[in-house]
Amino acid sequence: MKIKLSVLVAGLSLLVPAIPALAHHSFVAEYDGKRPVTLSGVVTRVEWTNPHARFYIDVKDENGNVTNWNLELASPIALRRLGWTRDFLEVGSVVTVFGSLAKDGSKMANARTVTLADGRKMEAGSSAPNK
Amino acid sequence: MKKDLARSPVTALAVVAVLSLSAAPVRGQVQPEGGGVAMVSLEKYKAKKSGPTPRTADGKPDLSGLWGPDPNLLGDISHALKPGEQLPLQPWALKLTKERLSKDDPMANCQPSGVPRMAPYLWKIVQTPKLIVFLYEANMHSYRQIFMDGRGHRKDTDPSSYGDSIGKWEGDTLVVDTVGFDDKFWFDGVGHPHTEKLHVIERFRRPDSAHLEFEVTIDDPGAYTRPFTLFEHSPLMVNTEIMEYFCSENNQDVSHIIGKGRTIPE
Repeated sequence: MKIKLSVLVAGLSLLVPAIPALAHHSFVAEYDGKRPVTLSGVVTRVEWTNPHARFYIDVKDENGNVTNWNLELASPIALRRLGWTRDFLEVGSVVTVFGSLAKDGSKMANARTVTLADGRKMEAGSSAPNK
Repeated sequence: MKKDLARSPVTALAVVAVLSLSAAPVRGQVQPEGGGVAMVSLEKYKAKKSGPTPRTADGKPDLSGLWGPDPNLLGDISHALKPGEQLPLQPWALKLTKERLSKDDPMANCQPSGVPRMAPYLWKIVQTPKLIVFLYEANMHSYRQIFMDGRGHRKDTDPSSYGDSIGKWEGDTLVVDTVGFDDKFWFDGVGHPHTEKLHVIERFRRPDSAHLEFEVTIDDPGAYTRPFTLFEHSPLMVNTEIMEYFCSENNQDVSHIIGKGRTIPE
């Protein structure tokens, strides 16, 4: 079953294109496309807002310390066009996010993909890379 | 070459295919840079079929419809010049362009795009015989009125982001003449400036149902040494609508923006 699921996810990723350049600001001046990060944690807040939808997750490190991360998505209307609904992310659910770290060292990242515990995965409308 | 790549839908699809293949998140692996194809997310909404130019009852081309952005009006307007041409910036305007930082980009601060800059979102033309309206989903959530009733430019208004537009038909081309701009907006993400002397002439054509072509002539003797023309096109978009995008709602980006995201070629 596990193998079948991963095959399914891989298949879906072939169908869903990566989505650059949907921001109102320069991506490269805010995020570093060369500093990718994978974060897994529990959703603590969802902001279905403009110009970017955002969500926040608590990430626990190996020593048990918890850090809250601020994760940027595309705008709600761009996410809609990518197939998202605003209930895709729910407070309390466990997610894995792949994205690009903020250049200024804050606990922020621009999400490229968001994967739920059940394997559902969405492109996040990242504007990376946007040169 | 770069411009040709960006304009080619075949290349865009190839980039999509490559990115899709490499999209699996692997810890520690550097993501490939993707080529900045701004239109990719809207690709599936581009009209697949085209037909003859639609016309209104009076025989004029009907430009009404939902249109996509032209990628060359997003980042650097020099990409929309004729190949080999350069923007004729006056020395002070070149200096200012180099000095401008991305955190100060009006669009990053949810301010209006002005003309001819676009946001990577949709816009709609609503055409009537006496008035044509452009509705922008995200420029920022703005509109333009093109008065077609033969009036001249107003003289009783202050300079503004979208200026004062009057239009007329020259054959099958809609010619829009706009003055009365303020000097606040940037032409693009690079920061190309203008002054209140800006005069914009846009020439719109719909050669078939699925495509809008337009040339934008920028005449600003305050910032450029001569007029120049940008060559643009927008695809017809289907199966979606313009939706709300009020950028000022939760704009957290500006305080995290460092330096300059786009620079002009030396």
